[in-house]
Amino acid sequence: MFKDLDPILHTPLRLAIVSLLISVKEAEFTFLKEKTNATAGNLSVQINKLKDAGYIGVIKQFRDNYPQTLCSITPKGIKAFEEYVRNLQSYLQAGK
Amino acid sequence: MEDMQQRLDLIESMIRKARNNFSENGHLYIVWGWVIFACCLVQYFAGSLMGYKQAYLVWMACWAVVPYMIWYIRRQKKREKVRTYTDEIMNTVWVTFGISAFLLVCVLGLALGPDMYKIVLPLYLCLYGIPTFLCGVILRFRPLVAGGIACWILSLASVFTPVREQVLLIALAMIAAWLLPGYQLRSRYRKETAHV
Repeated sequence: MFKDLDPILHTPLRLAIVSLLISVKEAEFTFLKEKTNATAGNLSVQINKLKDAGYIGVIKQFRDNYPQTLCSITPKGIKAFEEYVRNLQSYLQAGK
Repeated sequence: MEDMQQRLDLIESMIRKARNNFSENGHLYIVWGWVIFACCLVQYFAGSLMGYKQAYLVWMACWAVVPYMIWYIRRQKKREKVRTYTDEIMNTVWVTFGISAFLLVCVLGLALGPDMYKIVLPLYLCLYGIPTFLCGVILRFRPLVAGGIACWILSLASVFTPVREQVLLIALAMIAAWLLPGYQLRSRYRKETAHV
């Protein structure tokens, strides 16, 4: 039996965000925007959804009087991502 | 099924993008490389050849670079948009080196007094090799790996070199371990950031 793919990660932009965060310690909102080519509004919405699911942590602070948003993946997010990749691979292997 | 493959491709491309974020621009390698290189030459030519007894004071220049280095690192931290695990490990390696270098000169000075000059430079050459080699491996950057090995070879060679000339081996080590790799890191950084 195939396991259902995690609906939170199955959206391309959310999957892209988590894939970026899995490789780094923390990243600024502007870095994620630059690498995903998403609009600020869309990115912000998807970041909030990942945060609500407990997959990423978000710190909002001020640096030199400018607002700064720092994102990092949580242990729950790492587990969900690993399971998502495993499930994707099993689907693909079954399709061969 | 095509959709699944697209998802895997997306994951792969994002991980590659995050990993290609090369943050080492070689600036501090170049600054420290030149400062220590110049100190070595002044110490040798002014101190050893021309006999100026105060020539060793040139090493005070290193203390002058420390506030600049702190200011530069803080400025870079403010500018960085992403912090990788590689950055964290590299920082720890250099902090470890800084503390060890400081302690080494203190311990040898206290234990051996003026006799420490017979042993301090070979030990420093050995010590220079450690962070240089490690950072080369972490960054997968061969010139730094080669620089680290060069330091260790020079450390061995210094045992067979008169104490007066040992300082020239430090100057050579600066070229091999910090200056050449530093300029190569700078050009690699410029190339990579130009593609972003």
